[in-house]
Amino acid sequence: MSKATFDVPPKGGFSFDLCKRNDMLIKKGVQPPSFRKTGTTIVGLVFQDGVILGADTRATEGPIVCDKNCEKIHYMAPNIYCCGAGTAADTESVTDMISSQLKLHRYHTGRESRVVTALTLLKSHLFSYQGYVQAALVLGGVDVTGPHLHTIYPHGSTDTLPFATMGSGSLAAMSVFESKYREGLTREEGIDMVSEAICSGIFNDLGSGSNVDICVITKGNVEYLRNHKLPNPRTYISAKGYSFPKPIEVLLTKVTPLREKVEIIEKGDAMEE
Amino acid sequence: MTKHQANWSPYDFNGGTCVAIAGADYCVIAADTRMSTGYSILTRDYSKICKLADKCVMASSGFQADVRALQKLLEARHLTYQHQHNKQMTCPAMAQLLSNTLYYKRFFPYYSFNVLGGLDDKGKGCVFTYDAVGSYERVGYSSQGSGAKLIMPFLDNQLKSPSPLLLPAQDAVTPLTEAEAVDLVKTAFASATERDIYTGDKLEIVVLNAEGDRREYMNLRKD
Amino acid sequence: MEKGLDLDAPHSMGTTIIGVTYDGGVVLGADSRTSTGAYVANRASDKITQLTDNVYLCRSGSAADSQIVSDYVRYFLHQHTIQLGQPATVKVAANLVRLLSYNNKNMLQTGLIVGGWDKYDGGKIYGVPLGGTILEQPFAIGGSGSSYLYGFFDQAWREGMTKEQAEDLVVKAVSLAIARDGASGGVVRTVTINSDGVTRNFYSGNELPRWHEELEPQYSLLNIWGAAASPEPMSM
Repeated sequence: MSKATFDVPPKGGFSFDLCKRNDMLIKKGVQPPSFRKTGTTIVGLVFQDGVILGADTRATEGPIVCDKNCEKIHYMAPNIYCCGAGTAADTESVTDMISSQLKLHRYHTGRESRVVTALTLLKSHLFSYQGYVQAALVLGGVDVTGPHLHTIYPHGSTDTLPFATMGSGSLAAMSVFESKYREGLTREEGIDMVSEAICSGIFNDLGSGSNVDICVITKGNVEYLRNHKLPNPRTYISAKGYSFPKPIEVLLTKVTPLREKVEIIEKGDAMEE
Repeated sequence: MTKHQANWSPYDFNGGTCVAIAGADYCVIAADTRMSTGYSILTRDYSKICKLADKCVMASSGFQADVRALQKLLEARHLTYQHQHNKQMTCPAMAQLLSNTLYYKRFFPYYSFNVLGGLDDKGKGCVFTYDAVGSYERVGYSSQGSGAKLIMPFLDNQLKSPSPLLLPAQDAVTPLTEAEAVDLVKTAFASATERDIYTGDKLEIVVLNAEGDRREYMNLRKD
Repeated sequence: MEKGLDLDAPHSMGTTIIGVTYDGGVVLGADSRTSTGAYVANRASDKITQLTDNVYLCRSGSAADSQIVSDYVRYFLHQHTIQLGQPATVKVAANLVRLLSYNNKNMLQTGLIVGGWDKYDGGKIYGVPLGGTILEQPFAIGGSGSSYLYGFFDQAWREGMTKEQAEDLVVKAVSLAIARDGASGGVVRTVTINSDGVTRNFYSGNELPRWHEELEPQYSLLNIWGAAASPEPMSM
């Protein structure tokens, strides 16, 4: 299959010339700045009363963990939440933007937001950026039409599923769902299965780690269980502790008083009262 | 004509971190036991520490296949040495051998990052640290591997070593007691595991002293 | 990264999609596999999308592109239906699909099959492949699995089939393609459209016809080995 034809000039849409330039520079050996990527495990499932979302809490920059306890379950609307994987800046800004649009839409209509509305807004934004906004999302919520769970890929395609996983740990988490999921799970069974799926990502995928966050959305109620599980406590703390071997020495002290920059010249007539 | 290129690399990076600390009459060598590739863990229990002679231990991270090849070569060379000289190699001798072995493959290097720890002929702790092509130096302490950039500043802060340019040469050994050194190593690894995704699962510590050698383990985070 | 398991690759539907006309209507069929590289991202996707009450669309190629095209066409057809005061014809729907595919051909990687029934022309199938060509056809096949089906359809398709014969043909064809094409799989979905309305059918993987030496579908490899041949625990 031949790729995009270039003899037809593009009509409408964004220009991705700079993205092509960046690809060329990388090929020539220029190092681009590193981004904070959430090498992630995020999951969601539908249970008997609603939707449960789950996420790990590790954010990485290459091989280094840059946040051990970040939040990956983002607020969209009072009845809708969204897990994000990919470039942290993209998932955060895209969910914030759509969340704001949803709020304006609620003011406009005076009705509760629907999950499909959030889905359509997210997918059309991501599609117009042709995959360059690197956000892979698991969107869940309960609205007037019932519980809904969707996955959204960076290129703007969406799926509707009873259970979903995303991120670098998605295969580990999916193995749990594929072997255990059934219809009509209770709240407790659902939470247990979600945290097992997240733990599977935490322990088997190096991009995921630290704690388990869970969000249970039911009709008219949301429970955000931040750090529902803490399966990775620090393994060793020295009894005596460590400090800088000697206090930081003061080598020189010099105080420079602030100089007045505005000179007040008493001249002319005083201002009338 | 399409340009043909090998879309394949002879190297992998299996992660892992090694530390060695030399004291007046002991040497502590430690490494984690995680082996990984990309975002996957291959095993949680693979020893990176290899005892090459009675008073000489090597800890290596990098590419496991190259590390293993290097270990087997050194073991074989040490066996020949024993047959020829009827004695164990000293740690400084092994250090030179390791350097030569690494430099021998200067243009197709062993992708391994080593620290060599042991006791010298006077029973004093010694640590040698290497790059992949055999440049080496005797130091008081060192760290190599994926977590080295996290551990090394901590060791520098706690164990300031004398300049190697000083005349007369100063002792490179650290002033810590053996127990303090082991505690320092444990703290360093527990901290590195918090931030380096390639370090974790278990810590293996080998202590060499006048009585012989001792091995101990400590659990690390498994995520 | 593991070979082929490129999770950053755009979502594509290595697909088998089919549209067949019969005496009085059309049958649309599709498999249910969506993959990113070698990973099956969705094993139960619905590639037969509703455009209006009487027109449906089979999607193949990039999932994102085909979804956006179908969303736009659905939106335009809703407007059109309201302005016209009567259901849109299949021809109009297919022409809208063609218009978007042709005008944006440099940005889209999607092949589509439009099928439906209207009171003027009866059951009609339109194929809209990659560049935005439009073809009214008695039957149309598309997606990566279609290459296995051309010969089969040349042999098996007949004019004036009944609804049952047409649906059997579609299910048989999709299951043949699933058996040969690694990018197609899962279940078979069909949509039948005629003057009476629309019927959706679903054939799960374990009730599909099997071909030659194909193994029965299994939930686990252990079932193939059998309980009797359970592996001994390892001992040193």
